[in-house]
Amino acid sequence: MNLAALQDSFQELLLDSECKGAEWAEQSKHGISSARRIGIYHNAYRVRLADVLYDTFEHTASYIGDEWFERLAYQFVQANTSEHSNIGLYGKRFPQYLADALEHDQEVAELAQMDWTLRRAFDGPDAPVMTREKLESLAAEGIALDKFSPVPTLKLCHHAFNTLDIWHAINQDQVPPAVVRLDQPIPFLTWRKGHSPHFRTLSMIEYSALNHLCRGSELESMGAALSEEFPDADVVNEFGILIARWLDDELLADDRV
Amino acid sequence: MTFSFGLGLRSQHYHDFLEKPQPVDWLEVISDNYMVDGGKPLAMLDRIRADYPMVMHGVSMSIGSLKGVDPEYLRKLKRLEQRIQPMWISDHLCWTGVHGRNLHDLLPLPFSEEALQVVTRNVEQVQDFLQRPLVLENVSSYVEFKESEMTEWDFLAEITKRTGCKLLLDINNIYVSAFNHGFSATEFIRGIPKQSVMQFHLAGHQNNGDHIIDTHDHPVCQDVWGLYREALGHFGFIPTMIERDDNIPELSELLDELNYARDIADQVLSQQVAV
Repeated sequence: MNLAALQDSFQELLLDSECKGAEWAEQSKHGISSARRIGIYHNAYRVRLADVLYDTFEHTASYIGDEWFERLAYQFVQANTSEHSNIGLYGKRFPQYLADALEHDQEVAELAQMDWTLRRAFDGPDAPVMTREKLESLAAEGIALDKFSPVPTLKLCHHAFNTLDIWHAINQDQVPPAVVRLDQPIPFLTWRKGHSPHFRTLSMIEYSALNHLCRGSELESMGAALSEEFPDADVVNEFGILIARWLDDELLADDRV
Repeated sequence: MTFSFGLGLRSQHYHDFLEKPQPVDWLEVISDNYMVDGGKPLAMLDRIRADYPMVMHGVSMSIGSLKGVDPEYLRKLKRLEQRIQPMWISDHLCWTGVHGRNLHDLLPLPFSEEALQVVTRNVEQVQDFLQRPLVLENVSSYVEFKESEMTEWDFLAEITKRTGCKLLLDINNIYVSAFNHGFSATEFIRGIPKQSVMQFHLAGHQNNGDHIIDTHDHPVCQDVWGLYREALGHFGFIPTMIERDDNIPELSELLDELNYARDIADQVLSQQVAV
């Protein structure tokens, strides 16, 4: 058997739900049988990927309990191989898997998506942050920016359930509240401030403004669009408040560096 | 570097290394953990690198891959190399998956001429790209292949001869594989060309009676310390480090273990000088 066939066969054995023996394995005269030896790899593959899911989806695991999470994690591992050299990226499809598997418990998938998004923010791209001092210094030089850019870890999301409350409770080792479907989906954002992933809910006007920001809109067109979308709001005043908050939250990147 | 002792840098110990100087000569970082876009891992790495020399140790190069080493993986590895300027870069003599899948395990290769040719080609690819010798580690294994035509140590020796690469001898892995396959760990050590060894790993394992699993979740056992003495006696001093990946204890516990390695090296090497 050549190397290609051997590696194909070895991989197939490890991915198969049932652990079988292999004709290419030397029947050892020492210690355990070749079937048990292959079983070590077969088991290690599943344990390793399930452990990564536990690590990545910590709040989700706490919410549904170890036993249920383990069952779902092993089912997911059996159905989904990894295509990444970075094992930390393995769980990307897990939230959707939970959404499909737990049709009547959709908050679980929302919680998992939140775990995933926050984990990606943790080691997402760095960017120099725009600060008040930098803006003031630019103003002193007579430079006016016509647009701002978001930091690369900024993500806008929606929840249909009170998942943020559930996440908070789990994070503080408290009993999570009963699940509630919200009257309308609530927008929120996740990003990294310093070394820590953060999230917070958004008003509709901030959500819309951040959407424009993420699309690369210039400040002038963003203001015009917001005035049209929120005719009753004092957009100039609101916009000033938002910019101040975004600077405090380190949501804006300094593109000039 | 001679008479130097290192530890594997783990996130649980970032604070210890930032708080005050620790008695280690260098740190080994898992390359793959830092081949990320940004955030805390790279920030911690930069701060700790300012005070400690580092070596890079990877788990996903898949040097036994028929398709060759993934160029994108190598580009990321090179970016990290440029960032931390490691003393050397190592990975494992293994394969990790085929057809675009990654099994995230250090799967053994048959010790055949065909596998030698594949590994030789891939090591040359990596060395050409990185412009430095690659350091390859022997893995713990649980299966042997009918296709194998030579011993593991002959295979390793031949790779170093064909490519000029160096070896990271994991003393625990030699012990684990020798136990599991019934070969002589002494014969393994004596079969490795002395000038090819760049680094030793020491680690713990789980002994299940009729087989051993390489878990890196226990202290180094006495049998492995014994083999370390033997390796020092044969190779002379080789930069040595303790590797712990699970059940990670307080740093002080690992430093005690590292001091034990220092004591053994002092004993063995002073005897050699006396002789």
